[in-house]
Amino acid sequence: MDYLLHILILIGIYTILSVSLNLISGYTGLLSVAQAALYGVGAYIAALLALHFHLPFLVGLVCAALGAAVISVIIAAPSLRVHDDYFVLATFAFQVIAFGVMNNWVNFTGGPMGLPGIPQPVIFGITISTHWQFLFLAAILAALAVLLVRCLVRAPFGRVLRAIREDEVFAQSLGKNVIKYKLLVFVIGGALAAVAGALYAHYISFIDPTSFTVQESIFILAIVIVGGSGSIAGSIVGAVALVALPEALRFIGLPSSIAANVRQILYGGALVACMMFRPQGILGEFSFRKLSRS
Amino acid sequence: MISQLLVNGIIAGSAFALVALGFSLIYKTTGFIHFAHAAIYMLGAYSVYTLVEFLHLPLPMAIFLGILFCAAFGILLEIGIYRPLRYRNGQPLILLIASIGIYVIIQNIISLIFGDDVKTLRYGATSEGWPLFGARITAIQLITILSAFVLFLLTSILVFRTKLGKMLRAVANDHELAGISGITANEVNVFVLAAGSALAAIAAILVSFDVDMTPTMGMNALLMGMVVTVIGGIGSIPGALVGGLLLGFAQQFGVWKIGSEWQDAIAFGILLIFLLFRPYGIFGRKLRKAEV
Repeated sequence: MDYLLHILILIGIYTILSVSLNLISGYTGLLSVAQAALYGVGAYIAALLALHFHLPFLVGLVCAALGAAVISVIIAAPSLRVHDDYFVLATFAFQVIAFGVMNNWVNFTGGPMGLPGIPQPVIFGITISTHWQFLFLAAILAALAVLLVRCLVRAPFGRVLRAIREDEVFAQSLGKNVIKYKLLVFVIGGALAAVAGALYAHYISFIDPTSFTVQESIFILAIVIVGGSGSIAGSIVGAVALVALPEALRFIGLPSSIAANVRQILYGGALVACMMFRPQGILGEFSFRKLSRS
Repeated sequence: MISQLLVNGIIAGSAFALVALGFSLIYKTTGFIHFAHAAIYMLGAYSVYTLVEFLHLPLPMAIFLGILFCAAFGILLEIGIYRPLRYRNGQPLILLIASIGIYVIIQNIISLIFGDDVKTLRYGATSEGWPLFGARITAIQLITILSAFVLFLLTSILVFRTKLGKMLRAVANDHELAGISGITANEVNVFVLAAGSALAAIAAILVSFDVDMTPTMGMNALLMGMVVTVIGGIGSIPGALVGGLLLGFAQQFGVWKIGSEWQDAIAFGILLIFLLFRPYGIFGRKLRKAEV
């Protein structure tokens, strides 16, 4: 039973991550591979605050979101000066640098040893300790994240995002401050990813840099793309599909030593298959197909 | 000390430059970031390892077959995946995502077969190397530098002095216009994927003789190759060479001054500086917004 709850909690965390990246990549068309870096920033801020200052969970959560928002501005400011392929490269660069900092700044982040012993969250005097309570917390946070992104993309704000995605120069010609919108989207997406990070850190109670690698970024991107770019329901379906289905491998008797590799081969295959047969994903509306203006 | 750093910089830089040369050729001609270049690089090293270790082929033959295998694999990817994708929608980001998927698949297959531990192509005793201007250099390192220069020379001749090279530049410049003149982009793309993959394989084999191989070696090499490509200017052959050497020196001095664990961060710091202030690289041409 605990195992099933564990999977559901992970689905909650990945739902937050995938809707946050969907806002950036699916709705605004910015293919970012730095989402795991912001996820990690949130996890580390929450963990450090809880370990050294014994701050309550919700305060740590807000601090993690704010911290990641600041880092998002630092990432976005230079990255948004360039387009398409170059944007991918720039976010890639930040992802690698962020991993380097987490892995090498030993005094602060614990380096490859990670940060063990992150306390269980306490909310209004209630200690979240059982799997059921964590699932409840994860479900609430995931629902809030989904609701927030849903409100954003349904508002006129969301229409501007889609306009930028479809034709940036055209959106600009209508007097929209394209850079301001992109920056905002990046900051909101980053802060949401940090919320997922804080939740993850308190849930697993141990974090190390290997959870926040380029591969993790690609995995989150795979959820968004396979589920459907520009569709919130798609992100949820994607999170369920890519987190839960590979777990089925355990039941067909694959040893755990090769299950990790097989899992990755499956989602790599899902990415390729998606691009071949359904580039907009399961439920998506957008397929990274831009009007070519060459 | 300084001379050893310079020599090490040239050695590392030659390997970076070779990866970048293949990557850059593919990027310039086909117009998408070929992420699976990392996978092909890895296949180069591991195929030679397999041929020598399990089939006991003589080394030169194994190297030749390894390079051939990678070239064939590049062609397979182009015909089996990239070409159908191009026919369906043809957008660079879609091809990029697909090639990320291919990379993930191949990397994990190699992990499954060979395990995550370090393998090496170094046989016999580790040689101490010969003295060179107060530094030391081993035979394989010398071969790495020499083959990098020879391959750059050959690629330059091919691109700028042959008919095939002219076709290649035409497709890179504007594949529709090239098509109107009777140059089929498909043929050129197949050739470029084969040549780029062969270059990646050669770089990988040289590196695994000198250092070691792991299933993540391809990713690290590709990261450096991308940085070099941007520093030098996309599609520029002298740019790849100069960028590779520049990155090689920067890394060696960074390791000396800051520490080896920051190698990747240094490389990407340089990339960011270039993206911000000179995104078209040292030898590139500035593009107007409408052209991007």
